[in-house]
Amino acid sequence: MTKRYVLVHDENKCIGCQACNVACRSENNVPESVTRLQVRIEGPYGNFPHLHFKYNRVSCEQCENAPCVKVCPTGAAYVNDDGIVSINENKCVGCLYCVAACPYKVRFINPETRVPDKCDFCKESRLARGEQPACVSVCPTQALTFGDANDMTSEVRKVLDTKPSYQQKVNLGTEPRVYRIPSRRGGIKA
Amino acid sequence: MNNIWGSMEQYDPVVWNWIIAVYLFMAGLSAGSMLVAIGLKWYKQSRGLPTEGLPVIKAAAVIGPVAICLGMALLVLDLTKPFEFYHILLNYNLTSVMAWGVIALLVYIPLVFVFAALVFEKQVLHYAPWLAGVLKVCGQLEGSLNKLIFALALGVGVYTGFLLSAMISYPILNTAVLPALFLASAMSVGSAGNILVATLFFSKKESDCIEQVHRIEYPVAFNEALCLVLLFVGLNFSGPAAQAATAAITTGTWASVFWIGVVGLGLVVPVLASTLAPKAWRHSKGFLITVSCSTILGVLALRHFVVYAGQSYIS
Ligand code: SF4
Ligand code: SF4
Repeated sequence: MTKRYVLVHDENKCIGCQACNVACRSENNVPESVTRLQVRIEGPYGNFPHLHFKYNRVSCEQCENAPCVKVCPTGAAYVNDDGIVSINENKCVGCLYCVAACPYKVRFINPETRVPDKCDFCKESRLARGEQPACVSVCPTQALTFGDANDMTSEVRKVLDTKPSYQQKVNLGTEPRVYRIPSRRGGIKA
Repeated sequence: MNNIWGSMEQYDPVVWNWIIAVYLFMAGLSAGSMLVAIGLKWYKQSRGLPTEGLPVIKAAAVIGPVAICLGMALLVLDLTKPFEFYHILLNYNLTSVMAWGVIALLVYIPLVFVFAALVFEKQVLHYAPWLAGVLKVCGQLEGSLNKLIFALALGVGVYTGFLLSAMISYPILNTAVLPALFLASAMSVGSAGNILVATLFFSKKESDCIEQVHRIEYPVAFNEALCLVLLFVGLNFSGPAAQAATAAITTGTWASVFWIGVVGLGLVVPVLASTLAPKAWRHSKGFLITVSCSTILGVLALRHFVVYAGQSYIS
């Protein structure tokens, strides 16, 4: 594997405006009833007057060790050299095993193709043209950083080397490639 | 509610529904009835007793192929692309439990038909005399065929459990006990199914060799109960998410399904019936039919409970 694309979501900079969500929908022609990307606004956390919300990006985590790929009986869910977890529509039978197995619940059946769908970092459109994924380029606060972590000089490397970050559900061993920079604000559960 | 980030509908953690639960039940029923019938055959043979025309074996020859075919039909109809199901027969990803299951079923299904054809040899030859040659060869290989079917039936019973336990984020499903639980309950539904069909259609005198099938029911019921206890005690010690999942048996609809269906109908009724019921009843048709129906419903409830409650708690 030569590339190792990762995405960093800075939860301090994010304002939950859904620009990324909308941009993704129009870039990838995602049907109305389903979605590849949401930024959920959770909370409030903390104690008055120090209340804050958490901005939780929900999209494919591009797991290094992807459960969806492991369970697919036909190999329709696959990873190739670019490291991006993808779907071969022709091989898929629609058994929903990958949808059930994804710990992040980000796979869904596309009502038009009857095949599972999810974020692929815009690999066929924008990435192929050397551009950043739609969500990254449209974010008004630059909360998203995207790039190849194998490239020593990349922006994502710099961000991940200098800021604290976390990944979701690491205990499951999926090694997600979406990193999150946690909100600086504290608080304790009431 | 309208969220600014959009509909939450597609994020329902319950992805596989009752169709899968019924498929898992059918596969277990087929495999269990084969295991019981072949086991019984070996038991009889080892004591030099005749095995020809035993009602329970005839029953298995009906249940084995019919249950697995109905189950497969449901499974295919449940695909989002049912007309392209053949891809699953051409491409195999060997890290997938489902691929292994497909391979096992591909051999198992034709073999249970052979098993049935040998049991009903006379009837088959009556309608299809041209099969005589093939049946003769199969008849000579019967011993090895039965061993193979037994092994494959074990595989089918166990794989249905691994199919679910491979889903790593559901604490109730992602345990090693699940395949054992599914195998044990497949044996109990298999023997109950055999008794039911045998009593309804094949037995001339009451109690035709039902005794032996009864004998395996206790150890199987015990194992099933043990697996259930292990499952929930284990969850209790496996971290907060798993611990939260134990709520499956204390709150909500699935808790009632568990206590009434799985434990009540599936375990308590059959065990009490065969320990407390007066001797005179035990081999009456009505009694056998009632008790085996109770076991069958219990196992059906277990599959539903595991599929729904299993997917409702995510870590
Ligand atoms: S987040 Fe889900 S869909 Fe994406 S790679 Fe991981 S398991 Fe697959
Ligand atoms: S739904 Fe398609 S991609 Fe997903 S596991 Fe089944 S065959 Fe593979």
